[in-house]
Amino acid sequence: MGTDRRLAGLVLLLGLGAPGCVSPSMQSDLARVRELTHMPLPPQLAVARDEGTGFPEEVRQWLQQPLTAEAAVRIALLNNRELRASLRDLGVARGQLLQAGVLPNPAVEVELRQQEDPGLPFEPQAEVRVEYGLTQAVLSVARARAAQRELEAARYRTAAFVVELGYTVRAAYYAFQAAQQRVAIATQALDAFAAARDASQALFEAGNIPELDAATQDAAYESARATVAQLELEVLERREQLQRLLGLHGEATAWTVTETLPRMAEQEPALENLERKALTASLELAETQHRLEGAAQRAGLTSVEGWLPDVSVGVIAERKSPVAPAHGEWEWGGVIHFTVPLFDRRQGTRSASEAEFDALMERYQGMAIDVRSAAREARNRVLSTYLRARQYQQVLLPARQRVMRQTMLQYNAMQIGVFQVLQVRREQLDTELAYVDLLREYWTAHAALEALLAGRRTGAPLGPGSGASLAGGTEAGGH
Amino acid sequence: MDRRSFLKWSGLATGAAMVEPGHASERPPPARVVAPGGQVAVITPNGVTLPMKTSGKVKVGHLIAGEFEHEFAPGMRALVWGYNGRTPGPTIEVTEGDRVRLYVTNRLPEPTTIHWHGIIVPNGMDGVAGLNQRPIPPGETYVYEFTLRHPGTFMYHPHFDEMTQMALGMMGMFIVHPKVPVGPRVDRDFALMTHEWRLDVGARRPDPNEMTDFNVLTFNSKSFPATEPLLVGKGERVRIRLGNLSAMDHHPIHLHGLSFKLTATDGGYVPPSAQIPETTVLVPVACTRVIEFIPDEPGDWAMHCHMTHHTMTQMGHGTPNMVGADTRKLDHRMSRVMPDFMTMGTQGMGGMGEMEMTMPPNSLPMRGGPGPFSYIDMGGMFTILKVRDNPDRADPHGWYVHPAGTVAGPANPQQMTADGIDLSDGKPER
Ligand SMILES: [Cu+2]
Repeated sequence: MGTDRRLAGLVLLLGLGAPGCVSPSMQSDLARVRELTHMPLPPQLAVARDEGTGFPEEVRQWLQQPLTAEAAVRIALLNNRELRASLRDLGVARGQLLQAGVLPNPAVEVELRQQEDPGLPFEPQAEVRVEYGLTQAVLSVARARAAQRELEAARYRTAAFVVELGYTVRAAYYAFQAAQQRVAIATQALDAFAAARDASQALFEAGNIPELDAATQDAAYESARATVAQLELEVLERREQLQRLLGLHGEATAWTVTETLPRMAEQEPALENLERKALTASLELAETQHRLEGAAQRAGLTSVEGWLPDVSVGVIAERKSPVAPAHGEWEWGGVIHFTVPLFDRRQGTRSASEAEFDALMERYQGMAIDVRSAAREARNRVLSTYLRARQYQQVLLPARQRVMRQTMLQYNAMQIGVFQVLQVRREQLDTELAYVDLLREYWTAHAALEALLAGRRTGAPLGPGSGASLAGGTEAGGH
Repeated sequence: MDRRSFLKWSGLATGAAMVEPGHASERPPPARVVAPGGQVAVITPNGVTLPMKTSGKVKVGHLIAGEFEHEFAPGMRALVWGYNGRTPGPTIEVTEGDRVRLYVTNRLPEPTTIHWHGIIVPNGMDGVAGLNQRPIPPGETYVYEFTLRHPGTFMYHPHFDEMTQMALGMMGMFIVHPKVPVGPRVDRDFALMTHEWRLDVGARRPDPNEMTDFNVLTFNSKSFPATEPLLVGKGERVRIRLGNLSAMDHHPIHLHGLSFKLTATDGGYVPPSAQIPETTVLVPVACTRVIEFIPDEPGDWAMHCHMTHHTMTQMGHGTPNMVGADTRKLDHRMSRVMPDFMTMGTQGMGGMGEMEMTMPPNSLPMRGGPGPFSYIDMGGMFTILKVRDNPDRADPHGWYVHPAGTVAGPANPQQMTADGIDLSDGKPER
């Protein structure tokens, strides 16, 4: 019982103590990541948060009005647990850095011996030996430098994660918005199906058409209903994807988004020098560069280590037996201890480090090729979706409207009946649906391009060793 | 002024008067004698008579084939082909024994000829492209010359690419008065060419490829309410010459208010002993029919083709049968799908023409015209025979004024009861 209570007290202490305490090193990591991403990472991110404390005030305020894509990204930056975990993972690299720079401990040896003459009272002889590894102390400085590179690499990795999170949230946001719009359009189409069903029912009841025609319209309506139900599920799924990314639960899940996808700009997007810009901005290239430097330093270190004898120096103090001459006096001496790098010159470790460096170098080159390709791909996608969506917006949708207007005129002129009118209306809605999909594709491609210029290829795997993954997966540029 | 120049002048005058029909102030030209025995000039409602000059002993006329815009009725115009800027072309009116020289100028984009339908001419004048002559190339003028040896009611039309050229409106009436009048003298002599067209709603040119589904039916290429009424006097002897150059349809032309006799066809005169009284005359494709009658009942009498579809205009066929349907649920639903939608036809099609709905250009679906009591919901091949006591002073566009108590109206309940008409059970009487 007593142990339990103590334990509870400890947990309470940690629980109360943790939120308030901000480790200054985490603030500096955060500041660096903010600098690398140009994203508004709030300082609260460095503060550990407990479920009991609820959502930050900003999050609650943002959720009260219809969410914009921008607000969704900000909420995710504050609230995405994977991001918070990722920032805390930086502590691992920082710890390793700390460890690498620590000086080795001195070794102390104390020897006590019984006097040779057993007749004498107990007065042991003592020998104290203090030894200090000089080589290791010198090397620790170089090790700390390598670890510094690793820490910087980890910060780049986290920055890439932040950029990708921003993209993923945007993509999910547009997907949700599009799904909502799709349902709205599909519901209008469903109304048109229902109207055709009502018309055929009325005509059948009046004795004007065979039951086959009424049954056909009825079946078409029911099929459309099934389609709408499926689209409604898609809305819910997209919503949940966004909930996960924004780290929302409980009462905070009742948010809404602005109704429709934003219109595109009138101007074609400017897409010059994308490859160069993407290379310059690439966080993964920068990360790998730091990892390469770290690896190079480690390889060099190993090589130095291999040739360097392991030198330690020490002091010896001896106190002789009382019966001996100079009874009770300490005698002082020194010691140098070294290994001869004759056989183990750390050849294996060195060749492993070199191989590791070479492999990393190959990956670095490949990554640069991929980044260039990704830049061209993003450009193609943005341009194509922009042009196609603009064709829909400026030509196809008005053309469909014109078809609808002319259909109504032909209906007024009694050239066609209600069923044809409804058919044309459904075709018009189909075009609107395709336009919404294209608009979503465009905005997603646009977000992917922004992420690329902020340093992150979307959908590219994160650097080796990173366990980061986003719930719901990423979708670059739609389907 | 001798008779010949009188004919020439009257022909021109008729032409000028008929160019702009539809003015209330206009009076029909008084009957003029143009042929021996007091035979009066033919009136072509909505049309003209071809002016002819006399050159030596030959009557000379000029027909120019070409394209122009034609108004079938207010609100419905289209590019058509015809002669001298009109469809049907001017009525050619001559007398038996006349020699005519007819110049034909081709301003069409393709060759043409003229065939003098029903008239016996030298073979080389018969106008069948390839068989009797070379087709007249675009831009060229050919001349036809022949003597009219038989009186009668004939027609003229192209005999090159007939399908297109006739479907687009190329045709006309050709009337040959007898040297010696046949039968009693008539006071009014009308020529009406029936025709059918396909003009898609919103289109600007009739479709010559259509072979079955015609949607504009005309008297002298006009659709009611643009058909000019036939103004006649009570007790006058009236002749109506009907021609049919429709692509596919015969027209049972029905007259209200009188019975008539068929006095001639394009083949010749019907002997009085064979003239049977009728109220409907079937005018077959490629035939003319001449009827005569003396109306004795004044009023505004309908005259129309009795094929119900032929008194509709541009009626669609693909529309579902809405009669009797309870569409309240549908209407409610449609107000969500398309707010400006309006269900039509659930109580029949009557009055459709009166609805003020936005229409495609060049369309008169189900259109009729205004009447003195209400909208007349017939259109197309429909015109009005106006029988008046004093036709020369009557306004051809005015409505008949009925003597008191001579118009059908609501029944008087007391009289119904007195007459044993009982509607209390709501069931139809047996
Ligand atoms: Cu008819």
